[in-house]
Amino acid sequence: MSTATNDCFIVNGKLALPYQYFAGRAGSRFIISLRDEKKIRGLKCQKCGKVFVPPRATCETCFEDICENWVDVKNTGVVTCFTIIRYKEPHQPVDPPYILGLVKLDGADTPLAHIVKGVPLSKMKTGLKVKAVFAKKTTGGIMDIDHFQVVDDKPKFEMGYSYDELEIGMSASFTKTISETDVYLFAGISGDFNPMHMNEEFAKMTPFGTRIAHGALPQSLIAPVLGMKLPGLGTVIPEITVRFKRPTYFGDTITAIGEVVEKIEKKRWVRMELRWTNQKDELVAEGSCLAIPPMPFNK
Amino acid sequence: MSGRVAVCAVAQIKNEPDIWYQRFQGMLFECFESIIKQTGVTFDMEKGIRNIITCSDDVFDARTISDNGVTDAVGAHFRGEEKAAQDGINGLGYAMASILSGHDDLVLLMGHCKESQSESRNMCSNLAFDPFFCRPLGLDFLNAAAFQARAYMNKSGVTDAHLAKIVSRSRKLAAKNPYARENDPITEQNVLESPLLADPIRQLHQYPVTDWAVGMLLCCEDRAREFTDNPVFLTGFGSCMDSYFLGDRDLASNFALKKAAQRAYRMAGISDPKKEFDIAELNDAIAYQLPMWAEGLGLADENQGGEWVASGALDAQHVNLSGGMLNGNPIMLGGLARATEAILQLRGEAGDRQAEGAAKAVAHGTTGPAGQHHAVIILERQGV
Repeated sequence: MSTATNDCFIVNGKLALPYQYFAGRAGSRFIISLRDEKKIRGLKCQKCGKVFVPPRATCETCFEDICENWVDVKNTGVVTCFTIIRYKEPHQPVDPPYILGLVKLDGADTPLAHIVKGVPLSKMKTGLKVKAVFAKKTTGGIMDIDHFQVVDDKPKFEMGYSYDELEIGMSASFTKTISETDVYLFAGISGDFNPMHMNEEFAKMTPFGTRIAHGALPQSLIAPVLGMKLPGLGTVIPEITVRFKRPTYFGDTITAIGEVVEKIEKKRWVRMELRWTNQKDELVAEGSCLAIPPMPFNK
Repeated sequence: MSGRVAVCAVAQIKNEPDIWYQRFQGMLFECFESIIKQTGVTFDMEKGIRNIITCSDDVFDARTISDNGVTDAVGAHFRGEEKAAQDGINGLGYAMASILSGHDDLVLLMGHCKESQSESRNMCSNLAFDPFFCRPLGLDFLNAAAFQARAYMNKSGVTDAHLAKIVSRSRKLAAKNPYARENDPITEQNVLESPLLADPIRQLHQYPVTDWAVGMLLCCEDRAREFTDNPVFLTGFGSCMDSYFLGDRDLASNFALKKAAQRAYRMAGISDPKKEFDIAELNDAIAYQLPMWAEGLGLADENQGGEWVASGALDAQHVNLSGGMLNGNPIMLGGLARATEAILQLRGEAGDRQAEGAAKAVAHGTTGPAGQHHAVIILERQGV
């Protein structure tokens, strides 16, 4: 080959030719909606019910003209398939590595190919929920959607036990030492400046012989148990009853305990027994409540 | 209908990474001269070739109406010439239709592609997508295939290890094929360690850049003996086009391939594809496609691609004994290269890779992103 290829000449060439493409009637409406309203629209086949994004003027299955059947689809959707682009070439919209996904928008039936961001490459998986992020500047096309951002669909808060998770016998407690400051602040909250809580000289004349806390102060310590522990966040308490057994003196350490004693299947509520004790394990108060456990997390 | 359609001669050049010293016209002309020499066919308007089908791609040739660039090199002046701008295997289907309809006795089929000419195959295939919704996102045949690979592998139990096995097997087999691209031998470990291009597709999962040209002379059964003592008959053809948008398709379903296979099998009277073929040549541009297309063709059970690869069925069923497209054939000719190999096998001219007594074969080609279009052809040796 050495002699045969002596005079072989390579001509360098390049194809580069500007074009103007009409987007079609359906494509035009779609692009204008994206540009002017930041809205993603689809076309729906009245016969089979399929919603097409990107838009088509005709349903390929039913041969129906669907070019006027515009429906709004949501800016949110689910990634049905994806790849991670790691090779770099000039036709790519962004520098690799990046995620290219097929995104099925809520309300559409045909996934749309687009860039997915907002998740480490190693954590990318199908089924993630995403939301369209529109480009700051319009380019009059599909890139008016800059990318789809993964949205965290996990609740930001750890919700409490649901009715089905609660079992009879489950219990939780909260403990706090009651100080003079607590009592004075509680007087301010409730407006109850009764001298039996405020004035030691007055209190000496009462059957207790010294200042005591407001009854509702230790009672309120059950609120963090029910609302934050058992059942926990999301709980509603429609009824609570209390019998006071002993006074709470300044410096007493009160423990409030709640225990599930009954599951009321019909209402999907639970009944709980409540107890308040002091540092000497003396019963300060007792009672019960109804609790409506948290409903499934509501987005 | 006048009987069956016979392939009377095939001619090909060697698949190479970069035939920089020859124009594609020259590549075709070598094949053309070989066909004339093998068959003595003429261009007489009564008894000779009156119609030529060429297969090429505008973007890869950097020339629109790409057949215009080659008509003189394939004897197409002053007679009929038509171009198939899909995988060249569709040119075979078209030639069959021309002959079975009685329109022509003889058809010369010529295909070429010189992938090495362009800076990037992926930039070429990016132009296969619409300029509004897909092209701006950088979609190309590689990343479209990656979507399909993920969906299919998830469904069929095909693993990275299975793909490594497929690729290293392809290289071993192709080393026996004098027309195959000469590649470095690779181990399964090399494949597993090759960099990811578009997850889950690795660099070595993809066929390498290749230049190639091929020609065939097809003829009605009645006149086949004028040109050869060893004709191979085309007895079935089917094709099917799936939806364009990737999101419109069930990418792992093999929808179009199943339809194409059904049509070809019905025409050729195939009822049990697992047992009836001695040779199966599948258009595996990327490794995951080999088990996937095997499922679509009914050579493997549905969703059992992984198991099928592991079981050694590739060897047992004589699948891609040529090394397949994975070893290197250019785009647009991957399917026609499969048919070429099947013909050589059925003629008993496959050299060191010859399957003893091969009598019936299936060859398959695909065009477009993630197997949008499929074509299936059934070939039989004379006397079957």
